[in-house]
Amino acid sequence: MELWLDQYATVQSPVHRWEARCRFVGVLSLIIACAAINHIALLPFAVLIVGGYYLAARLPLSFLFTRLRYPGMFLLVVVAVVPFATGTTVFVQAGPLSIYQEGLAQAALIATRSGCILTLSLVLFGTAPFLITVRTMRALGVPALLVDMMLFFYRYLADTAALLTRRQHALRLRGMQTRRLDGRTLPTVAALTGSMLVQSFERSERVYHAMRVRGYGQAVAPPTNPPIHPADWLGLAATLLLAALLVCAALMLG
Amino acid sequence: MHIPDGILPLAVCGAGYATTATLTWYSLRQIQRRPDPHAMVPRAALLTAVFFVASWIHIPLPPISVHLILNGLLGVILGWYAMPAILVGLFFQAVMFQHGGITTLGVNATLMGLPALLAYGLFQLRFVLHLTGRFATGAVAFVAGALGLGLAVLLFYGVLVATIPANLDVATEQAALTLIALAHIPVVIIEGILTTLVVLFLLRVKPELLTDNAPVGATALLSEQG
Repeated sequence: MELWLDQYATVQSPVHRWEARCRFVGVLSLIIACAAINHIALLPFAVLIVGGYYLAARLPLSFLFTRLRYPGMFLLVVVAVVPFATGTTVFVQAGPLSIYQEGLAQAALIATRSGCILTLSLVLFGTAPFLITVRTMRALGVPALLVDMMLFFYRYLADTAALLTRRQHALRLRGMQTRRLDGRTLPTVAALTGSMLVQSFERSERVYHAMRVRGYGQAVAPPTNPPIHPADWLGLAATLLLAALLVCAALMLG
Repeated sequence: MHIPDGILPLAVCGAGYATTATLTWYSLRQIQRRPDPHAMVPRAALLTAVFFVASWIHIPLPPISVHLILNGLLGVILGWYAMPAILVGLFFQAVMFQHGGITTLGVNATLMGLPALLAYGLFQLRFVLHLTGRFATGAVAFVAGALGLGLAVLLFYGVLVATIPANLDVATEQAALTLIALAHIPVVIIEGILTTLVVLFLLRVKPELLTDNAPVGATALLSEQG
């Protein structure tokens, strides 16, 4: 399994150099603004803004296309179904099938909005090492327990995935049928899940004791955050302004 | 079952975040009341990772295959840690695999987390009702597992039906969503059976996994019953 989060975290770009807290708040505000768009007239502006940020982050297009694969299937279904199933004003008639104007607008709205939010989330989480992102979330007020869980989860996810792969290989070698549902399928899957739970439980006990020895759970001095320079503030102000303009326009058109 | 970005109106996304924040805050408050709230953090995180990868297991259900959700089982095992666990799991699914979304994280976490907490409450009821025998535990686990997914499907259906834009063909959309909801009935039964089997497995192999989140006195009750 590929933990891709840090793949382009060390690229040199204005977005990468932007102070983490300012970047987090700024890009998140743009994501919210994109979610607020409710009229197709705003879509070109949203695409321009989002495209600008993606280009400024110097992330490769292949990165975006790879990440679009799964949501792309959903978007394809939306684009393929909604224009035929929605609306009253016929835009194109092809035999028994009609493409409706309202359906086309709705499909464009959903697909573009979704694509913009996804692209911005890549800018948000793909332009800094994951540990910096988590530290930023903590600095912005996410509870310490949640942050600890995220870090442990991130650390052990690949190991757990490898454990599942090994167990599944072993099951197949012992003749488990993966394409047929029979009386043994569910007990086998339950035993697989249960044994992984037990193994992870025992590992977590060892991890916890090792962490306790290193002082986990004791009060620690709050981490010092890097200073925010005027350029960071300026970037944040400009981004917030763009987001506010998009939201205001959406409210006026809505 | 994850609602992706771009589908829901901003107000619904905001309401989802508000509900998730309330449920998470309440769960964290319950966790902080434990003698050592940090003790369970590595365990909850590692078990969350197991649930996360277990959801990749596909069960053949000819002519298709379905993947597990396991939010009911997660509630049964993690108790109050279920809500933070689901939030963390869905966050990673959104940022790593683009399943679900950042704007819909709150809604998706509520859809999965609320049923998980109810499944936990239901599973703990067996101590109050003294239904701690093997058969009774299995039966309660079935209901908890099926309730976890069943309620999540109903909430998913409710959110989507309630937020269909006015210019869409509401009847067609409702019919399609009803079909999707009904198609989940076999999966709900499978989740119930699987929850029963996993709980009985753990009862035999590692009962601490089921009792560490139990109310005060429950462990003693189980010990008395052998």
